[in-house]
Amino acid sequence: MEDHEEMSFRYTMIGAAVSIFIFYLGLILSLFYFVSGKGFLEALTHPYTLFSIRLSLTAATLATFFAVLIGLPSAYALSRFEFVGKRILDTFLEIPLIISPIALGASFLVFFNTPLGELIQTKGFFFVFEVPGIILAQFATIAGLATRLMKASLDEISPRYEAVARSLGSSPWQAFYRVTLPLSFRGLLGSVILSWAKAFGEFGATVTLAGAMPGKTETMPIAIFTALASANIDKAIVLILILLAFGLLTLYCVRLTGKRYRYD
Amino acid sequence: MIRIEGLTILFESFKIMNLNIQIEEGGFHFLLGPTGSGKTLILESIMGLRKPKTGRIWIGDKEVQGLPPERRGISYVPQDLALFPHLTVKENILFGIRARDLDMKIYEEYVHALVEVMRINHLLERYPANLSGGEKKRVALLRALAPKPKLLLLDEPLSGLDPSIKVDIQHLLKNLHASFHPTTLCVTHDFEEVYFLGDEMTIFIDGKVEQVGKRDDVFWGPKSKKVAQFLGAKNLYRAKVLRNEKSLQRLILGVNGLQFSIPMGLYQDKMEIGREVDLFIRPEEVMIIREGKFVKDSLKENILKGEIIDITDKERSRTVYFQTMEGKILFEISIPNYAFRNLDLSTGKMVRIALREESLWVMV
Repeated sequence: MEDHEEMSFRYTMIGAAVSIFIFYLGLILSLFYFVSGKGFLEALTHPYTLFSIRLSLTAATLATFFAVLIGLPSAYALSRFEFVGKRILDTFLEIPLIISPIALGASFLVFFNTPLGELIQTKGFFFVFEVPGIILAQFATIAGLATRLMKASLDEISPRYEAVARSLGSSPWQAFYRVTLPLSFRGLLGSVILSWAKAFGEFGATVTLAGAMPGKTETMPIAIFTALASANIDKAIVLILILLAFGLLTLYCVRLTGKRYRYD
Repeated sequence: MIRIEGLTILFESFKIMNLNIQIEEGGFHFLLGPTGSGKTLILESIMGLRKPKTGRIWIGDKEVQGLPPERRGISYVPQDLALFPHLTVKENILFGIRARDLDMKIYEEYVHALVEVMRINHLLERYPANLSGGEKKRVALLRALAPKPKLLLLDEPLSGLDPSIKVDIQHLLKNLHASFHPTTLCVTHDFEEVYFLGDEMTIFIDGKVEQVGKRDDVFWGPKSKKVAQFLGAKNLYRAKVLRNEKSLQRLILGVNGLQFSIPMGLYQDKMEIGREVDLFIRPEEVMIIREGKFVKDSLKENILKGEIIDITDKERSRTVYFQTMEGKILFEISIPNYAFRNLDLSTGKMVRIALREESLWVMV
């Protein structure tokens, strides 16, 4: 009797997991229903398609680079130090998750119409309807997430390792890169890849701030939207499949990369 | 010489007040306190990882308070050891020498000698995950000693080990200290460790130093009830000074109608009639008198009659619970197994016990 109950429990749980898999797989397979060989190849080799792939890869990589540049030290501070306003800061990291990406993009448009925003645009970079706008929108979407994920990786590493490294003569910087960084490398790399994947698929904030100009600011998700709007199903499907391939590849890399240490 | 003066740490619910410790060069000093008394906080403050509210720390003539941890010359072995899992044993051991940019040639012979004493030659290329608990302890100790620290801090070095490995590591620590004389401050809650390894100790309870002294002086002469209780005192009674027999140089103390006679000696000026004190005798210092056996004069002053109410087994000894006929005072008596076998004791048997007067300790 107990065996039967245990089996039914086990199969219910596994069944739920398999149904999620079937749900997404079905969605992906349905894309192939409309694929026609010639149109598919044409759409794949079209200069605008290739441009949007290149732009998406470059922008997501740069946005991730900046997010890590600021996110890693922030994550370390949140993980290791106690300071005034820490909780407020921690809460603000979730802003991109709670407001819609379009609202985030709209906030940037408003900001660049303030005197400070105008000054930045005239003396520095143009962001509105320009490529830097894409990077900025993607950065804004992922910076909080990257920080949160990297903090979780650093939290896993006992501060005791650094304490010992310090007592053995390492400066705080040396203790960080000789001990904490290698120990948390796998988790940090996973955080970076996930953040990159999120930036790569970002649509709302990017289209609001940088627009949807083919050959200029049209990233892959934007190109999918414009292809659908102009009833170019072949192009939309090609782009969706490429986006999917990149996304799945990167996520699979998260599971493959690095070596897990057994901590004491 | 290491001097820690007036160290006060306030952290969350911990309040450590005015801690003073002195350790002679090459000494092995124990900071003994109950679990959760903030001992690790003290080590972290000495090491420079935590800023104390007040306090000064000298290593030799140099005041290190205000210096970062890496410039204090203090090595630390935490309770969880924190061996770097991404480095081999050899890389772990050399970490301090490399981090301090020391000349490997100068340290080579010394590190080799340490490796020999610690018997870890065969482990050098392994990663910490592939070591046993005892091996990890040895590597962590060696890693801490390799850069020749001026002070070695040990946090519960024998915790979490199987009894047989614990004894092995105890002996290793003793050999290590005898061979290389590192000035050591070790925190623990386990008096057994102190008894095996320590010269001097500071007893630290509820954020305050209760007693400082040589191991035996503290063990046999706790200064307060708190210390006695912490050290596992079993026979601890509230007593009242009844008489002062100056001609015989003796004090008579009363507990529940029973009288105990102790030499006046050290207590001469402190024992006015009516004063309440704590009286303490270790379980292994209570003697059961064998029937028909001659009783020495030194034991005759404090002989009590009563009944054995229980006997329990321990690994190497028996614990006999004895209750006096008069006053119904309960004594716990520890008897080695070999002696127990000759005494013919059983529950319910009426016997006499004798208390050695030099073992009766009074805490004023």
